[in-house]
Amino acid sequence: MGLFSRIFKVGQAEANSVVDKLENPIKLAEQGIRDLKKDLDNSLQALAEVKAAAIRSKRDLETSKNQSQNYEAKAIQLVQKAERGEVSVEDADRLATEVLARKESVDQDVVRNQRDTEMFDKNIRQLDANVMKLRSAITKYENELKTLKARASVSAATKKLNKSLSNVDSSGTISMLERMKEKVDQDEALAEAYGDIAGQPSSLDDEIDSVLGSSPNGSDALAALKAKMKK
Amino acid sequence: MGLFDFFKKKETESTYDVSNITVLDLQVGFIFEYDLSTWEVQEASQYDWGDDYFTSEYKISDGNRVLFLSVEDDDELFLSLTEKVKVRVLGEDIPEYIAKNEKAPSKITYNGKDYFLESENPGYFNELGSEEWAELISWDYEDKAGEDILCIERWGDFEFEAAVGKNIEEYEISNILPNKN
Repeated sequence: MGLFSRIFKVGQAEANSVVDKLENPIKLAEQGIRDLKKDLDNSLQALAEVKAAAIRSKRDLETSKNQSQNYEAKAIQLVQKAERGEVSVEDADRLATEVLARKESVDQDVVRNQRDTEMFDKNIRQLDANVMKLRSAITKYENELKTLKARASVSAATKKLNKSLSNVDSSGTISMLERMKEKVDQDEALAEAYGDIAGQPSSLDDEIDSVLGSSPNGSDALAALKAKMKK
Repeated sequence: MGLFDFFKKKETESTYDVSNITVLDLQVGFIFEYDLSTWEVQEASQYDWGDDYFTSEYKISDGNRVLFLSVEDDDELFLSLTEKVKVRVLGEDIPEYIAKNEKAPSKITYNGKDYFLESENPGYFNELGSEEWAELISWDYEDKAGEDILCIERWGDFEFEAAVGKNIEEYEISNILPNKN
């Protein structure tokens, strides 16, 4: 693999990695459903057009059938008039033939309209089936999206909780507590040492005071001694 | 979905929710099912009764018949389907009665059924897409059960239209299909 190909591959991999990070499953699922709905809209419109054409074809079929029946009735009336002698047979036959020719033309319309109507009905059935599939797919994915949203919500909450827990520096806290305990121990030892030092006489005066200090008041004790000696 | 789809020309937004199209979304060209037949909306118009009170009316056809579907959204939905009839079918002298008394009779009997005057509504009519509004007075009748209806409209001095039909429920209209063309 050439150098440029490798660089291109690296770039491609990095770009894909960035796009992967940007992809939000919920938003993409919602967009997918919107796309499906657009497809459904187009299908419904196609179905509407075919149904509208079927309505017009049905109307044309009825019209052509009525026209055909009308021409046939007219031809019968002409023959009957000729039979009653109200018009000449030649005229009646000529007009009846003309009317029947028109009826034949209209009958072709009837056949064509009948064929169109059947074709439209067939198309409608096919399109209906496709529309039903699309509707069903949309309903399915909308329901799945609800589940997906709930799962994403739970997952986000769990992630947040786990992140908070992972951020707690338990060893740091414990060592800090140990340090504090040691510090208190040290403080206590220091206080004790100070107490010991404070308990020892530091000079002769202190020593005398200490000796004399056995009595609560030195001068009172001396006065008592002197009084005893005078006796 | 490709990157360049983003730059494609945006299509016009639909005015309806494709997975839930209702009678309030009806437009010319829309198709729906009613009474086991497929109907196409051929024309759309509206009545303005004042105080922001409107009625939408759709001329619909199934290929054999032409009916008029009225839709009123007044807190709840009121739907009716009517068929035009000649006003004199309802009573030979109804136009003269209205012209003389400036009001419609309180009761009309048609096809053996009694219809009672419910309301008199002056308003304006507009065909959708047109800028013109025509003034009219409408007299609305109902039978005792409130199911069958009858309506007489007066346009100008001596021009009358009448329609007979019934109130229907929204669920009776189904499978509405859009058509932007």
